[in-house]
Amino acid sequence: MAYSNKVIDHYNNPRNVGSLDKSSSEVGTGLVGAPECGDVMKLQIKVNRETQVIEEAKFKTFGCGSAIASSSLATEWVKGKTVDEALAIKNTDIVRELSLPPVKIHCSVLAEDAIRAAIRDWKTKQGEPQPAPATAGKTTA
Amino acid sequence: MRASLFCEACGKVQPPAPADYFAYFGLPRKLRIDVAALESEFYRLSRKLHPDLYARASAREQEWSTERSSLLNDAYRTLRDPIARTEYLLGLEGMHLEEQSKAATDQARETGEAKKQVVPPELLEEVFELNMQLQELRMARQAGEAADDQVVSDLQAARKNFEERLQALQAELEKLWTEWDEKMEQGEEPSPGSRPVLSAMVDVLNRRSYIRNLLRDVNAELQAAGPDSLS
Ligand code: FES
Repeated sequence: MAYSNKVIDHYNNPRNVGSLDKSSSEVGTGLVGAPECGDVMKLQIKVNRETQVIEEAKFKTFGCGSAIASSSLATEWVKGKTVDEALAIKNTDIVRELSLPPVKIHCSVLAEDAIRAAIRDWKTKQGEPQPAPATAGKTTA
Repeated sequence: MRASLFCEACGKVQPPAPADYFAYFGLPRKLRIDVAALESEFYRLSRKLHPDLYARASAREQEWSTERSSLLNDAYRTLRDPIARTEYLLGLEGMHLEEQSKAATDQARETGEAKKQVVPPELLEEVFELNMQLQELRMARQAGEAADDQVVSDLQAARKNFEERLQALQAELEKLWTEWDEKMEQGEEPSPGSRPVLSAMVDVLNRRSYIRNLLRDVNAELQAAGPDSLS
């Protein structure tokens, strides 16, 4: 299948690959998977507690080119955004930006899931300085 | 049902009718099937649809027979394979693996919560960790380091582990087949009562796709480590 130029660019030259300290209270980690294909993606964010701005984002994806490109793009997009702004990112925005074909939509879904999961993890940490198993619902920062 | 492939009066091939693969072979929508019988039926129908038989037929008949043949091939390939067969049935019953996952994302977006992952988080952790290790091995190999015995035996152990888990998942799936088939035999409409059986199958298949990938990747690494290490 032909990948779009933007996908190829992110794939050959992924931005923000790596990891952040999972145990830091400023870091939120999202680990998600796409059962359709068995691919997995980890996305981490470091958030400034005062401003709620995402200052750093890293990812590591074991999956197809579209999943790598989607997560690479996702880290670029969330950086500099507040957590609430980042929550507004939809997989369809990623599909549009990368011109993903229908069979690759689930790869972009994975990236959206990862952003949400990372933010949820971070929020949970803010509510519970001594992280307990994440059974808590909404928490306040 | 099979009769509809050919005209009952003249035996000529008929235009493709939208039928599901089970119906195409005259089978009920059950998951335990007699694969040997399926195979011989497949060969019987293939012979009847062989293009040579239609060499002098009208263009329309030729076209129909070609379409029929490719439908026959798809149907056979799908039903013969236990996983493809299960996935196909799930699709027929309106359970699409991909849609379930997308629906969970939509719900997460609406409620502002993280998406409920469809497989246990420990499994995702395990998959991620193992992928990290495999990547390290791959990089070491590309840097020209030969895999040492320890690495090879770890990989072999991992392979055994995943093979066993695939078998366990297969057994789990087959139990669900039985449950489903019993419901079909009782003539139960495939609605509310059988929903849980179907979702349990989706659940098994979801977990399975991760394990299958790991096994594939471990095997690839073993292959690269040298042909001897595969045994
Ligand atoms: S094919 Fe599954 S994430 Fe792309």
